[in-house]
Amino acid sequence: MKRMLLAALAAIALSFSLSAQDYTGGVKGTVVNRNGRQPIEKARLVLSKGAEQVAETETLEDGSFSIPGLPDGMYTLTIVAPDFLDNQVQVTVNDGYVKNMFNLGMTAVNRITEIDDDSFGAFDMEDSGYNDNPTILFGSNDVFNNIAGYNFSAVRFRARGYASESQDVYLAGVRLNDAVTGYSPFSLWSGLNEAMRSKETVSGAEVSDFGFGGYNGLTNIFGNAASVRKGLRGSVLTNSTLYRLRLMGSYATGLMDNGWAFAVNVSARLGGNDWIDGVYYRSFAYYLAADKVFNNAHKLSFAFFAAPGERGAQNASTQEVYDLVGDNMYNSNWGYQNGRVRNARVRKTHEPVTFLKYDYTPSDKFEASATLLYRFGKNGYTALDWYDAQDPRPDYYRNLPSYFKDDNPDMNRMNRIKAGWAREVWTHAAQYPSLTHVDWDRLYNVNRNQADGRAKYIQEERHVDQHDFNLAASFKWRAADFVTVTGGVNGRINSTENYKLVADLLGGEYFLDVDNFAERDFASQPWKVQNDLNYYLAHGEARKLHVGDKYGYDYLAQVRSLGFWVNGKFVLGNLSASLGARLGNETFWRHGLMRKGLFPGYPSNAEMARQWEQAGIVPSDESSSWVSKKANFPTYAVKLNLNYVIGGSQRVYANVGYFNDAPKFNQVFLSPRTRNTMMQGVKPVKTFSSDVNWQYSGGGINVRATAFYTTIRNQSKVMSAYDDLQNAFSNFAITGIDQRNMGIELGFKVPTYIVENLSVQGVLSLGEYVYTSTPRMTQTVDNSAEIVSENVLVPYWKHTPVFAKDASGNYIPDGEGFYQVERWQKHYVPSTPQIAASLGLSYNYNYWFIDADVEYFGRSFLDMNPLYRTDYAVGGPDYVDAPDEVLYMTSQEMFDPAWLVNFSVGKSWYIKRKYQLGFSLNAKNVLNNKNIKTGGYEQTRLVDNTVSRERFYRFDPKYFYNAGFNYMLNIYFRF
Amino acid sequence: MKKILTLLCVALTALSSCRSLREEWEPVFTFGENLPAAEKLYTEDDLREFGFGGKFTTIHDLKAMYKGGGIEVGGNVWIRGQVISSDVTGNIYRELYIQDETGGIDVKIGKSSLYSEFSLGQWVYVYCDGLTLGAYNGMPQLGMEADGTSTNEYETSYIDVQAIIDQHVYRGAKAEALKPLVVSENDIKAAISAGYTGELWGKLVTVPGLQYGNEIFALVYPNPNLPHKSTNPENRVFLSDKGTWGIDTWAMSKNLYMTYVMNGMFDEAEVGSGATRFGTITNRPQDFKDKIAAKAYDSFGSDVRLSYKEIMVKYATANYVSHYFRIGKTDVQVRTSGYARFSDTPLDSRLLDGSAKCDITGILSIYNGAAQFSLVDEPSVSVKVY
Repeated sequence: MKRMLLAALAAIALSFSLSAQDYTGGVKGTVVNRNGRQPIEKARLVLSKGAEQVAETETLEDGSFSIPGLPDGMYTLTIVAPDFLDNQVQVTVNDGYVKNMFNLGMTAVNRITEIDDDSFGAFDMEDSGYNDNPTILFGSNDVFNNIAGYNFSAVRFRARGYASESQDVYLAGVRLNDAVTGYSPFSLWSGLNEAMRSKETVSGAEVSDFGFGGYNGLTNIFGNAASVRKGLRGSVLTNSTLYRLRLMGSYATGLMDNGWAFAVNVSARLGGNDWIDGVYYRSFAYYLAADKVFNNAHKLSFAFFAAPGERGAQNASTQEVYDLVGDNMYNSNWGYQNGRVRNARVRKTHEPVTFLKYDYTPSDKFEASATLLYRFGKNGYTALDWYDAQDPRPDYYRNLPSYFKDDNPDMNRMNRIKAGWAREVWTHAAQYPSLTHVDWDRLYNVNRNQADGRAKYIQEERHVDQHDFNLAASFKWRAADFVTVTGGVNGRINSTENYKLVADLLGGEYFLDVDNFAERDFASQPWKVQNDLNYYLAHGEARKLHVGDKYGYDYLAQVRSLGFWVNGKFVLGNLSASLGARLGNETFWRHGLMRKGLFPGYPSNAEMARQWEQAGIVPSDESSSWVSKKANFPTYAVKLNLNYVIGGSQRVYANVGYFNDAPKFNQVFLSPRTRNTMMQGVKPVKTFSSDVNWQYSGGGINVRATAFYTTIRNQSKVMSAYDDLQNAFSNFAITGIDQRNMGIELGFKVPTYIVENLSVQGVLSLGEYVYTSTPRMTQTVDNSAEIVSENVLVPYWKHTPVFAKDASGNYIPDGEGFYQVERWQKHYVPSTPQIAASLGLSYNYNYWFIDADVEYFGRSFLDMNPLYRTDYAVGGPDYVDAPDEVLYMTSQEMFDPAWLVNFSVGKSWYIKRKYQLGFSLNAKNVLNNKNIKTGGYEQTRLVDNTVSRERFYRFDPKYFYNAGFNYMLNIYFRF
Repeated sequence: MKKILTLLCVALTALSSCRSLREEWEPVFTFGENLPAAEKLYTEDDLREFGFGGKFTTIHDLKAMYKGGGIEVGGNVWIRGQVISSDVTGNIYRELYIQDETGGIDVKIGKSSLYSEFSLGQWVYVYCDGLTLGAYNGMPQLGMEADGTSTNEYETSYIDVQAIIDQHVYRGAKAEALKPLVVSENDIKAAISAGYTGELWGKLVTVPGLQYGNEIFALVYPNPNLPHKSTNPENRVFLSDKGTWGIDTWAMSKNLYMTYVMNGMFDEAEVGSGATRFGTITNRPQDFKDKIAAKAYDSFGSDVRLSYKEIMVKYATANYVSHYFRIGKTDVQVRTSGYARFSDTPLDSRLLDGSAKCDITGILSIYNGAAQFSLVDEPSVSVKVY
């Protein structure tokens, strides 16, 4: 090892001593916006000879650049700039002259700039265990990502069908995906579009310079002061689906002669919207950053930013509710309080991020950087909590007509008067606001009626507060003309505290810290119903809670990870290859901070043991407090990339990778709110991913075509659902989920040649993302150590049998006691269309741009719950799984395909050649299609109280819908 | 440039002065004048707005409308009464009892935690038109039209649609909780012979000088998820005719029931119903295979190989218990739900050993021609032992 290090150091030293040979040839020019010839600052230029990168530089403030010291030959110059499509041109240097390219025009990407976390309404998945984390496709430098990112975001398109956790998002060289859940961290900087605009992106399994990445692309946001566009900028934005108004301002100095750069960005997002009542923003954002360059070789960057504020969430309802109300955008989360709209579910966050980055660039051959990043603060999410009181949710299933009458006599619901009244209420929602929305007035009055002041309803705030320390370092070393080595190290210490606190007592005087689910079963053992047993032992009673008090549960999710990666890129004429590897380790554990009566564990000392014995407390193997076992997962990955350049404007490249990744904390602990118990048999997730790509860029034409094939094995997840039959939270832990994602991607933008400045653009994503394994499920309930079912197979997870029928429509016995299966209907990875296509026209001339697109989305599937795919569910109480029952219970819902038409127009003006004023107007879903499902989930419960007691029925699933016609108008000015 | 900026400012001001827009930008303050107003409590005058004609029907006269079977009340009938029940201890559940001078009635408001909205003594007005007057084993109840399901065996159903409750049940002024009516054996006998319209049924009553009868009655279903009506005797176990079966608590929570079963206290109890008796619970359904209907037998699935005792533990739920007490020669049962908070509270030992008598306060009802108590409060309050 030591010897290797020495050799590496020697090689570095050697490379410094080599200097460019004294060639007189070169390339220079000015990069400008194709419209209006305005210079583009900070465009990145990469000069290659064949597949070999020869030089890299950036344009100055006036758009100019110059690359000297080039030997004669043919070169390809690639120009990349934020908000512009990549451009590639051929350059020939001969006779040792500096070739002047004059103006190199870039085509602006006019719309992509406003895509961020705000592009997605916050969907409230309750405690369903389902998550809704969209993928955001960036990359104005990729024709597919550029068009798909803008056009497909509304339907929650996930590139290649991958979960958002697999998309690596870096800030200043640090991977910032959530340590506990893996989710992408966009919400940390929403509203700071100016500060976070500059980024580098690779897609699929490509290797980037700043991190090893996974198989679903990597985006690195620079986030430092010098990367923010120079000058004073402001914008006013209004949109009709999220908030009325966004005000944003930024000022950046750019890198000044004294080596300093400063940048500020602030914004406010305020108000409601046209589509979803109760959803509102009161969000702000701030960003402060400074860079200092010393001796041209050292650079220090510092930034501090956050997006504090609150936003109301939207809830999913069943189709029955939407149909009765006549509105697929009905939101059950809000109600009137004293005549004013109040949302029960509000996300309240203030999570600052700060980093210090050091860049070292001693020569053209070597660069290195190191970043120390810290994320902290509060992340709260309010919800109603209640004790010994009626369910306050207006669309609770017992409030709906279907609860009182169902045409199926087996459901035992036959009361026409009640069903009629429930229908009357829901079809006249405006006349019955207290019954079709949260009745805040009633909640207050119930609390006021309590003689002892004990609140029955409160608003709680669930917190997930992080302390996230990251250290990442990387280097890039051009060891020789034909070999570049990149590598790095990253370490992370994450401690995330999960707890809830009392946010509002709603007119009550206090709330009591007991587990109301446990109370029903253990009424005669008061210690067992305590959320905080230690407090109870010390005071002889449960804690009386007031606003701001923690209660219910409190634990730390502790995550530690360390990794190394190295990648070598080798160039041989037009062919280049890179080979990289990553090695690491991830450890996590739960640290309980509250001792819960149901799972007291063992007393930690003799005094406590005596106290417990006195109080009659029975120790338990499963413990709610102190430290769980540590889950430890070694991780590794390898990647190979081959790249062949054909004639300068075409490129064929392929990636293949194998990844052994740790599961996430929330996929391993069965019921982290109550105990330390981990799921058995959780294995690392093993992913094989490959893609082949062809790219053409030049002469205004941009095309990329990709075929990909990926298998992901051994995935696990834990889902929770309140089961009102068990009167408890049920946890469903699934292990061994395998999937296979394969398909093609095509993106193109081609001039029409018929009408000048008019281009045709389109994308197609065609895939098959299917489940391929039979996972196992373990069911537990929060208020019992007892395992309801352990490691049972989920045989219908990956498919549903379609039974053969004879001529008269009867199922055909198979001679072994069951029926002949004609074929197996596959089950698909949900929550993304497996077919997505867009075709449009784009017109760009004289500071005008006009875009019109038509989109098609198809083969989108509903998220499945594992319970419905078990033998238990299809068997029903009589254990007989008739073909109809199997089909009914296990099949997966496919959403109807959807068409969308979008339209954008924009124009900017230069005033006195100094100021710029512009607007862009994006109109989406122009056809006002209000029936497009964008997601949802199945309720993990069964209807079991039937007349026949022969079978179970499903609860209706809940859906989210896309908004109808909506617009966004942005007016901006730049000084 | 200036012009444009001015224009922008004007547009913004115009936008923000729009009332509806301004509202969505302001937070809902949760203090001071933004708190909801106190609940509207209705006076008798207020009711005229809803069609009240000025004259209340007495609860006795309402009951007198009953002619057997459930009947829908009509003719602008309003009753009034004061709340005497509370579900705070969980013994009474999804029912509200109100009484006037002439009697009491069970209004089947099918919602939980009613005590949070109906306080003891509070005046309640019920618009009866459209509601259904029925009987449950002889006890008057006011509910909704019975469910039209094939398995329904009730004359009324719960009033559990909030819109219907809102149109029929009006909360009036709060008042002192009513004192229980102290009754004698003769009063009880008179009420029993009056039957449905007996004045005591549904009223808050104290019966003094009760002696414990050393006998209980309970009916448990080994697997409550399977059919368990009288047509399915293979899924019924009666705990009766054998004293107290060792049960010294008011009822059995799920956990206590499991303990009792596992301790072997019910080992001699027989599976069956009425004249159909299969054998004790230590047997397996398999052992009764030739006596159980084929379909019912299949419904046990692999559980046929478990003993009934094991099945009872596997599917344990809370269970009610009726304790017999006696005043003179008249039996009064005290029926307590397994979901009551005091279900696992033991009876006073002096009652169990017969060394003391007690006065019991609760809501008296008629059940198949016998008087039956439901305790409203904890036994420490409602059962006075001396």
